[in-house]
Amino acid sequence: MLNKLLFKNQDKKQLIIAIIGAFMGITFLITSIHYIIKVNDFGKGVDVFGPNTIIVQKKVTNASSLNLTKTDFSNKELQKIKNESFIVDVQPVISNNFDVSFETSDSLVPYFRTDVFIQTVDQKFLGVQTDQWHWKEGDDFVPMIMPREFLVMLNTFMCASGIPQISDELAKEVKFKFKIWNGKGMERVNARIVGFTNEVSSLLVPASFMKFGNDKYSDGTEQKITQIIIAGKESEFGLVEDLLNKKGLETKNAQMIVGRLKSVVGTLFIVVLGISIIAVLASGLVLIQYMQLLMSRNSYEVRTLLRLGYNPTDIIKSFFYYFIKIFGIVASLGLLVFFVFKYFLDEMFASGGLYIDTEMTYFSIISLLISYTIFALASFNTAKRGIFKQF
Amino acid sequence: MSNFGMILENHKTKYTKMDIILNNVMPIPLASIQHGDDSIWGNFIELKASKHILLNASSGKGKSTFTMAVIGLRKDYDGIISFDGKNIKNYSSMDWTRIRQNKISVIYQDLQLFPNLSVAENLILKNSLTDVFSENEMLQMLEELEIDNKWQQKCGLLSMGQQQRVAIVRAMLQPFEWLIMDEPFSHLDIENAKKSMDMIDARCKDLNAGFVLTTLGDSHGYKYDQELKL
Repeated sequence: MLNKLLFKNQDKKQLIIAIIGAFMGITFLITSIHYIIKVNDFGKGVDVFGPNTIIVQKKVTNASSLNLTKTDFSNKELQKIKNESFIVDVQPVISNNFDVSFETSDSLVPYFRTDVFIQTVDQKFLGVQTDQWHWKEGDDFVPMIMPREFLVMLNTFMCASGIPQISDELAKEVKFKFKIWNGKGMERVNARIVGFTNEVSSLLVPASFMKFGNDKYSDGTEQKITQIIIAGKESEFGLVEDLLNKKGLETKNAQMIVGRLKSVVGTLFIVVLGISIIAVLASGLVLIQYMQLLMSRNSYEVRTLLRLGYNPTDIIKSFFYYFIKIFGIVASLGLLVFFVFKYFLDEMFASGGLYIDTEMTYFSIISLLISYTIFALASFNTAKRGIFKQF
Repeated sequence: MSNFGMILENHKTKYTKMDIILNNVMPIPLASIQHGDDSIWGNFIELKASKHILLNASSGKGKSTFTMAVIGLRKDYDGIISFDGKNIKNYSSMDWTRIRQNKISVIYQDLQLFPNLSVAENLILKNSLTDVFSENEMLQMLEELEIDNKWQQKCGLLSMGQQQRVAIVRAMLQPFEWLIMDEPFSHLDIENAKKSMDMIDARCKDLNAGFVLTTLGDSHGYKYDQELKL
């Protein structure tokens, strides 16, 4: 009876417009948050380095070839880069100061040997598990991260030798050995691949192994920092790129493209997220305004009910439940339409070769719940203020 | 015994009655008007529980202001109105809800009916708060006032006299200690006014409740214990 009195005579056209607005806002919000997360996660785990992390060196010019300019980094230069606001961290990449070669040591694969160049970077830049990334004298093997191009080269050799090629996972099972030496001594140390990278052209080893080799088999020349690893802030990769140009530094082109793309996409997604949030807030506001309009239209009814002895809380509840029911239906419809969108968008991404994870993201649901909670609180407050104004 | 008399027999209840005291009350809009020594405005007036009081005044002297102030709808006055010694300005919304449901019933001058609801819905909406009468009993009450055939009709389509009778019946549908009536018979002929007053009288007697009847000068021939002026 109370609902008939309060909600029967209303302008349905305005309600429908408010509902459509809220529905579009909610659908937009869930869809954009879902795809922000999914596209952001896309490619994660493919490489051992974190996002926005690059290895750089000074550009080799004619002057540096003639020893007129240096290609190594001083501590002062490192500190200067580190002080930039868009830089998260900078660390030197340590290289081997001893002779090292790399060979297979497994009956499953043919013998293969090559001289290599090994490097080490600070653990915090790597996405490998800490328990795998350590070495001390006497350990069974040295963990290493192999450049993917090295595996491609190895597979080319396998193919040429008429031997089946090996996958990433199989490569991690193959036993290898490092041979390290100088003019005075030599030793062989077992090694295993624990990860792959597209971003470095050398074999990466733990710092402890590098220190062991450099201490024991150093050729006596001065250890120079010719490469550094830089982690830039997300969405500010453009500034990192400017810095590299300004300081005459260079990195792998692919790394720059990926970094630039991620930065652009990251910025774009923040804009999309912002628009989604504004859309939901605006649509929520439209519904709240409609509630105010309805209360104002029913001010005589509300006032009379209060005069008859109706509890204001009961009238507040009537308005509150009515509107959270509407928003609940809108949210459910928005979720339903999102699943339909998701089906088609996932198909579209897949047909474009982008196999993004199709699982539902918790954040989309959480964002929906947050929107619902904010709307419920706003509805309750609006109803409370409106009813007590008539008391 | 009339139908309504029989209905009341089934609903005999006892309540603790409350006195209404107006201590030097002066509505701000009426402060500039000269009020006599026997006026309820600006004097100490005690409305004793269960008394039948006639509040007689010409237009614009504050009859409706009295109704609105006593039911807590107006607070723009100086002085103190108290129920059983408690200043009503200190009542919370919950206190007023309880008072409007169980202690004071009002017949408003402008009736305060819901024009888009039927007579039945108007009455059920009020009765559902305390569930005092059955639908059949409400219908019998309408029959007493000869408007039972309007049960399903929208209030907005009734004549003013019919609407006034619906408002009178609605005021009966709750327990009360005081019935405040703001010119309740202004649209009724003598016969219907008498029938209505009989119903009101019977209900007040049943509840041992008092009433305040505001009128433009005519006492409608009703018996009262006290006459107040404005």
